[in-house]
Formats: sequence, structure tokens, C-alpha cells
Amino acid sequence: MTHPGTYSDRRTGAHSRSGGRPTGDLLPVVPRRGCGGRRLLVGLFLLGLVASVLPWWTDTQAGSLAGGTAKLTAAGQISGLLAGYLLLVQVLMMSRLPVLERVAGGERIARWHRDVGATLLVAVLAHMSLILVGYAGLEGRSPLGQAGVMLRDYQDMASAFAAAGLLVLVGLTSVRAVRRALPYELWHATHLAAYAVLLLGFAHQFSNGTQLFRPGPVRTGWIAFYALVVAALLYGRVIAPLAFNLRHRLRVADVVAENPDTVSIYLTGARLDRLTMLGGQFFRWRFLTRGCWWQSHPFSVSAAANGRWLRMTVKVVGSHTRDLRDLDPGVRVWAVGPSGTFTAAHRTRERALLIAGGSGITPLRAMLEELPPGTALIYRVRTPSDVLLHRELDWLAQARGVQVWYVVGSRDDPGPRQVMSADGLRRLVPDVARRDVYLCGPPGLIEQSRQLLRRAGVPRRQIHLATFEL
Amino acid sequence: MRRALFAITGLAASTTALVVLKAGPDTSRVAQELPASATPGTEESTTAAESTAEPAEATATAVPRPSVSRSPAPGQSTASPAAGGAESSGGATKKPSVAQPSTAAPRSTVRRVFGPVVSNEFGNVQVAISLTGSRIVAAEALELPERTAQSEQRSSRVDDRYSGTAGLVVQRQSADLDTVSGATATSESYRESLQAAIDQAR
Ligand SMILES: Cc1cc2nc3c(=O)[nH]c(=O)nc-3n(C[C@H](O)[C@H](O)[C@H](O)COP(=O)(O)OP(=O)(O)OC[C@H]3O[C@@H](n4cnc5c(N)ncnc54)[C@H](O)[C@@H]3O)c2cc1C
Repeated sequence: MTHPGTYSDRRTGAHSRSGGRPTGDLLPVVPRRGCGGRRLLVGLFLLGLVASVLPWWTDTQAGSLAGGTAKLTAAGQISGLLAGYLLLVQVLMMSRLPVLERVAGGERIARWHRDVGATLLVAVLAHMSLILVGYAGLEGRSPLGQAGVMLRDYQDMASAFAAAGLLVLVGLTSVRAVRRALPYELWHATHLAAYAVLLLGFAHQFSNGTQLFRPGPVRTGWIAFYALVVAALLYGRVIAPLAFNLRHRLRVADVVAENPDTVSIYLTGARLDRLTMLGGQFFRWRFLTRGCWWQSHPFSVSAAANGRWLRMTVKVVGSHTRDLRDLDPGVRVWAVGPSGTFTAAHRTRERALLIAGGSGITPLRAMLEELPPGTALIYRVRTPSDVLLHRELDWLAQARGVQVWYVVGSRDDPGPRQVMSADGLRRLVPDVARRDVYLCGPPGLIEQSRQLLRRAGVPRRQIHLATFEL
Repeated sequence: MRRALFAITGLAASTTALVVLKAGPDTSRVAQELPASATPGTEESTTAAESTAEPAEATATAVPRPSVSRSPAPGQSTASPAAGGAESSGGATKKPSVAQPSTAAPRSTVRRVFGPVVSNEFGNVQVAISLTGSRIVAAEALELPERTAQSEQRSSRVDDRYSGTAGLVVQRQSADLDTVSGATATSESYRESLQAAIDQAR
């Protein structure tokens, strides 16, 4: 590892000539993409939701749900169908299917996953309790006694109960407060139990599901959806990454210190000219060396595609990032991605304002190469030594006509306070309401900025957030 | 999180709406048919609640079943096929070879498998079978349409013919049964539930 003073000693490859700045020609401005694809996804999701309840609707004769217990059971059936559908959607969203990553982006999918997850948890609990109470009413037992009978006498119900238990565990550990308190790896391992939920919950739907036990289009369709999800998992998690990594064979070229607790990791590989990615996107990286290979962590690329090397700039915050400082050149890297819609292509207006906090500069730095001239960058840091990639930013300011403001100091200092207000923003960037704004940094800064941007009149869909959280 | 709350509320509301919509119209018709369902032969009167489109579970008619012989079962579910006679009237022991397992019912080798509830225009049908190994030793109808005297009559014809420890099911060891004349729909639903139970068991 090297420090800025000795920067030139260990630099290798292309970046030694340019100090990390893109070599050769300026990149063309990335054209905008619409959000039609995303709407299509949401539409498909809603369509599926309706389709999953449709069999119940057509199966149930009007006027047949007269008693209270019948109504409870019917609601139990509906919530069961919904839960079955939502579970598949949940897994599908985590399949890393390239088309999903391209259209919706990993971070947005993670947000959806959280919301659908909460809904799924409620649906499963509702399904269980409604069916238990409903059946118990029909058979004249207590719900608890009914649970015992179902466990013993009904086909595949023991595994279904186990699936529900696991799902509750997965759901509860994902409640934000609980998740924060857990080590990431423990949380992640628990979350993998969701695959067991898929497996354990499978059979009872077909042996006991009133709408699904019959051979026919509904049952076939439901099984087909399962098959589709498994295929998506296989493709997104195995085949696509395998193809990507066999094609590009990434290796660590160098690790360069940017400041005492931040390093840039340069990677080289094969056929990088054919690697399509956008500034602002991230990969999930796995460094195949002792102590690191079993974890995969997301980091944004901190330079746009240049056909010769890749770079990420990593702030040391925990054990894994600490280990990354000591990577040796030559270490193989397994990458999954690119992912994310925090890119120049997803802007809705021509011009952009970027607001970075601390290490949040990394994706924005890469995007700057792909945004049109006139882009503005506000860079919030505590102290001058926290400014990362200083030289590159200055170079970009010149070469691409970027206006850069470094706003140094703590949140309560007069300078930052003046800039980080609706008026301050408007003074700095008069046309802020007609720009897309990209925010990346600590959650506190992002939330604060988001609020004052709204106050400064920036429409919600022009605000893009990257919180470094999945 | 706000979106999740929104989604949960939305789904809960639409589920309620769906149930209410289905429960809404012509409840009067069901109510009218109710009195006719007080019939002999079943222990419990059928209420409107369980008359149609119920999920795969045993309804009131099946109540006696669990208590009889479950206790000795370690792990696997058992029930004596003899108890299967809850409403299968006839033919207890025509063939000794078949009857034997039923007398030995408390042994853990007898498995009971439930078919799902199949509804037709007359009501619900649910079948349960008891097996030793892969051999069906008894079949029983947990529920049959009996909302009217007529459908009750048809049901008991189907039941007599198919169910029990020596009925057609045990003889054929499959759901490939001749239709009981005059009770086509009930026969069909019976076979459907039976087939599903057999599929589950094997
Ligand atoms: C889309 C995205 C892009 C990112 N880009 C950058 C970047 O360019 N530069 C940078 O310095 N950091 C980036 N991060 C943050 C980086 O992933 C975490 O700081 C890193 O994983 C911490 O690992 P650790 O073991 O050192 O720290 P820990 O102390 O183990 O974890 C600190 C926090 O990081 C998060 N985290 C830990 N492990 C993972 C994981 N495997 N996957 C997801 N989150 C995890 C958890 O929320 C945890 O609370 C990014 C995160 C995301 C989600």
C-alpha cells in the first residue's frame, strides 16, 4: 500500500500515466433512457397478483360463503395464494437476473424486496391464522388443537409449518433495528434460509391447496412459475456470472492509498473493451484470497469504463474493507454485475447536480465522465484530507466543464450550513429545479439534502439516491 | 416502509372485498336449502358455512375420526380403517384378507391420507383413504353433498358403492371406478378427491 506522497512508486498499468483519470478521448455523453421498463415490471407484478387470486375467484361459487368460518377460510385461501405468489416474486427479485438489474437496478430492487418482504410476512401469518381458525371452526376444535391435527394428519403440513417458522425468522431479522444489531454475515446467512422456505413450502400448496391440487392449467401455471424462478436464479446467480468472469478474468493490479483510511483497488483483465457498464453502477466483488473469498461485498466503480482497467475506491469501515488494504497484485476477483440505475442514463433532465458526502464521491466521480458539460458537483467533507480523488476531480472540472464546490467542515459550521439550505443551493445552482440531482453519502446527509432539495422545488423523480445500503 | 404498509392495507382490504363479494349475492338460496339438510345418517348437521367450496380439510362430518385411534401412531398418521365407517354403512368384512389390516389398525403401519375437498354444484366431497404400505385398505367419504334429500340419497349410493374396507376403491386399488348411475357429479368428485389422495400417498 502506498500513500499519496509515494503515489508514483507503485502505480502500474494505464493509470500511472494519467493518475487515475481516463486516458485518451473524453467519453461521449450517455444518452437518457426512459423509465418505461420499470413501469412494465410493476405492471407485470400487479398482473401476476391478480392472476394468482383468479383461480380462487372462479372456483368459488357466488353466495357460498355464508358462515363466518367459511369466510375466514376463504380469506385464508386468498392470503395463501397471495403469499405463494409474493414469495416467488421475492426470490425472483433476488435472482440478479441481468434484465431486472438493468431495468430496475440493484438498489431499487433491494428496496422493493424489503417492502414486498414485509407484505409477504403479513400474508403468511394471515394465511396461517385464518386457515387454522377457519378449519378449527369447521371441525369444532380449538385452533391450537387444529394445528396439531394438521401437523400430524395432513400431507406435507409439517414442512409447511417449518417453512412458515423460517420465514418469520427471516422477516424478523430483517426488521431494520434488528438487522443493524446483527453482524452482516450472520444476517445474510439467516436470510439464505429463504431458499429453504421455497423448498419446504412447495408441497403443501399442491396437496392441500383447494385451487392447486387438481391437475389443470392453474396447477401447471403455478408450477411453471416456480420453474421460471428457479431458472432465473440459475441464470442470474450462476450462468451469467460464470460467463462474465470467464470472459474478463479480473485480477487485482494494484492497491493505492487515497488517504489513511481509503484505498483504490485497480483491476485488470481480459477483453475489458467489451465490458459494458456505466459510471455509478456497482459490482458485487469477491476477492479470491485467504480470508476474503467467502464474502462478497458491493462497491461502485470509481471510474467509467475505459477498456483497460477497472477501479473501486473503498473506505475502511469494518473487517472486510480492512483486509482489502492488504490485497496483493495478481489476486483473482470474481465480480457479479454491473448493477444499479444510479447512472447518467437514468436522468430525466439534461443537466445534473451531484451531491457527495465523504466516500460517497466514488460513483459520482465515475458518472462525471458521462454527464454533459455544465454538471455541478457539491462535495461535503469534514476536513480537507477527507477529499478523495482530488486531482481527478480538478481534471474533470477542466476537461468536462464541471463546476466543483468543496464544502468543508462539520454540519454546524457556518459554511456548510449556508450551502446546505434551500436558498444556498439555489444561489449555487440557480436552475437546480430543472436538474436531476444525484445524492451519495452517509444516510444523514442524504436525508437532509433530499428534504432541502424538495424545498428548493426539485421534483421527486429527479432525485436519485445511493445510500451504500442494500 | 410506508409502501409496505400501503401494500398490506391494500391487500387486506381487497381480500375482504373479494370475500364479501362472493358471500354477497343469493345467500337466500343457500338459506332456503338449509332445512333440507337435516338428515339422518350424519352425526352433525351441515351448516351453510361448509356447504360449498371449502378447502382441503375435513368438515363436520369427519369430526369423529381423529380421536379414535391416533394415539398409538408414532410419527406417521394413522387411523383405523374401521373408524372409516363413520358413515360408510355396509360391508365391513367381506374379504378377510382385506379386513385383517383393519382390525390391526392401531399398528403404526396404517396410514391415512386425505384427499382435498372437491366441490360440485351439489356440495363438497372429500375422501380419505387408509393404507398399509401402498395398499388401500379402506376408503371413507368425510363429506358428501347432502343439502337436499335427493342429493343425500345419491351420496349414500355413491358412498355404499365406493367406500368402506370392501368397497370398490379397495377392490380396484385405484380411482378408476364405474360411475354410480344417477349420481354422476358426486361420483366424479369422489374420484377426483380419491385420485389426489392416492397421488399423495404414492
Ligand atoms: C450499492 C453499494 C455500493 C457501494 N459502493 C461503495 C464504494 O464505492 N466505496 C465504499 O467504500 N463502500 C461502498 N459501499 C459500502 C460497502 O459495501 C460496505 O462498506 C462494506 O461492504 C463494508 O464491509 P465490512 O466488512 O468492511 O464492514 P462491516 O462492519 O462488516 O459492515 C459495515 C456495514 O456495511 C454493510 N455491509 C457489510 N457487508 C456487506 C455486504 N456483503 N453486502 C452489502 N452490505 C454490506 C452493512 O450494512 C454493515 O452494517 C457500497 C455499498 C452498496 C450497497
